Amino acid sequence: MRIDVRDLVLRYGETTALDGLTFTLESGKIYGLLGRNGSGKSSLTSVLAAFRRQTSGEALVDGRPVFENADLTRRIGLVRDEGEAITIGTVEDALYFAEGLRPNWDAGYARSLLETFGIPPKANVKAMSKGQRSALGVVVGLASRTPLTMFDEAHLGMDVPSRQAFHDALLADYMAHPRTFVLASHLIEEAAPLFEEVLIIDRGRLVVQEDAGTLLSRGVSVTGPVARVDAFTAGLTVLGARDLGPTRSAMVYGDLDDTRRREAAEAGLELGPVAMQELFVHLTGGPR
Amino acid sequence: MFDDRSPIYRQIAERIKADVLSGTLRGDEQVMSTNQYAAFYRINPATAAKAFQQLVDEGVLYKKRGIGMFVSPEAPEVLRAGRRERFFTDVVDPMVAEARAIGIPLGEVIGRIEELEGR
Amino acid sequence: MRFPSRLLAANMVFALLLWGVLLAGVALVAAGVAVFGTLTESTWEKGVQLARWYALFVGVALVREYLPMYVAHGVTRRQFGAQAAVTATLFAPFLAVLVAVGYLLEAGAYGLAGLSQTLDRAHLFAEPTHVPLVLAEYLIELAAWLVAGSVIGAAFYRWDGGGLLAVPVGVGLVVLAESAIGTELRLPFVSRLALGLDVPQSPAVTAGLGLAAFLFGLALTWLVIRDVPLRNRPA
Repeated sequence: MRIDVRDLVLRYGETTALDGLTFTLESGKIYGLLGRNGSGKSSLTSVLAAFRRQTSGEALVDGRPVFENADLTRRIGLVRDEGEAITIGTVEDALYFAEGLRPNWDAGYARSLLETFGIPPKANVKAMSKGQRSALGVVVGLASRTPLTMFDEAHLGMDVPSRQAFHDALLADYMAHPRTFVLASHLIEEAAPLFEEVLIIDRGRLVVQEDAGTLLSRGVSVTGPVARVDAFTAGLTVLGARDLGPTRSAMVYGDLDDTRRREAAEAGLELGPVAMQELFVHLTGGPR
Repeated sequence: MFDDRSPIYRQIAERIKADVLSGTLRGDEQVMSTNQYAAFYRINPATAAKAFQQLVDEGVLYKKRGIGMFVSPEAPEVLRAGRRERFFTDVVDPMVAEARAIGIPLGEVIGRIEELEGR
Repeated sequence: MRFPSRLLAANMVFALLLWGVLLAGVALVAAGVAVFGTLTESTWEKGVQLARWYALFVGVALVREYLPMYVAHGVTRRQFGAQAAVTATLFAPFLAVLVAVGYLLEAGAYGLAGLSQTLDRAHLFAEPTHVPLVLAEYLIELAAWLVAGSVIGAAFYRWDGGGLLAVPVGVGLVVLAESAIGTELRLPFVSRLALGLDVPQSPAVTAGLGLAAFLFGLALTWLVIRDVPLRNRPA
């Protein structure tokens, strides 16, 4: 489903969580939504899923306002740590309600996912471990087959094998039933390969929206003697630099064409890739 | 090759090229689908598709609508030609630079090459 | 088989379970009293007072447990409000029927044992076997407690501690319903103070006041939940 967000503002009393966001998400892609704690990721997904109403601006899905729009919300799923979609009695109870409320629910798929994650169907949801609750959220989120499916930190408490199983299941089901996914995650390096496009938000504002491959190709580390690195990077967007004795490694954000790359090689500078996580850290202003 | 812009995406392209050069993948043989590659490497299928598109652009693969991707019959020759073109810049030049840096006279290098040729 | 509403189905199943437990408990107590003393009164009349607290609890749970889950599954507040109203409208009579069946079962048991099923308190009905009046009284009472619970539950869900302000509103709804039943036993002074009049005993007034309390409670709940945000911390 297509998402159009315009000048979106959300305030909680005095706090401004979303501060004039504007962007468009096309249908059928896996989007990574990255942001630091309190950046507004959860607020954004909450508004897009009609969990809460924005203070001002527009949140449109398929061109129509999403809040209290039954035709849209039945096709939108948001699974988050609060677990409201699954916290009811036992695992079977939770699936019973999901099946009744989700038009595209695939019960067989839900059962097989329960097995994948080793979730006992008779278990009491409130008594399960954090990782198991997260996994159940994933099961409900995927088996709902909602044309717009959002996971907000769905992996919390899940161990490495479970997270891999989650990513495998998500990819497989995305390819079998193409739909729009929005994944908000802190584990950037782990989730980054899944993204087709990345949105980075900070303090309620959009920092970057970019094709994941393009974003990665825009991040270049330039390493070499301090003076030569500085000369080469003058006029470029330098996100940060680290020194080791006479050697400097600067992180540049922007397109370097082949001429520039040749120049670097001729100057004896080493160009290297920058991990998405590093880009994220520097695009959102470093530690604070 | 100055950098490593997208490791996984290049890894896929390089793996397919290597298989073509070694003869593991033959001309007109079908390669695995983007989805299979995506699932195997745990990456977005669009990323895998880009690797395939690059190989199509380079003439290594060709597309059959609705069926999949196949190895071009001329792919091994295309790849070998490309490698020949880059051989001196990619292999010989760095070797010479390395020999100089660690103090091996070029004469010794040449001697070694002649020795290998004699075998 | 699909129930018109999963919400209703889930609550009915649970209510039936509780009813069975309550019946067994009441039967045990009655048997105990009969063996070790003299049993002259209806035990069900006393035991079934728990039903209104259960109705209150269901009203609270409707908003605190089910509303977030429904919204999280893509149901609008409007749709949920309608489903919850239907649920309440069908669930209160269902509970009233369970209560009435309890009285009939007790009447049968007492009859077999030759005991008299005397009522302790004043009711709309004179005999526990006057089924229509039993149903009417408990329907009005349980419906009011149910919506009182939903109003209070909704207010706490939305405003945390501010929900305390809804407690007097809930009490008001209950008082209105009790005065409609006109038993004047449980909250006589309050009901007279609140309404400033003695409610005349007539079936129309009783039904009207009971319905008013129920509808007023539903309307208040709707005002609170119509645009309520889902909480960011688990309730």
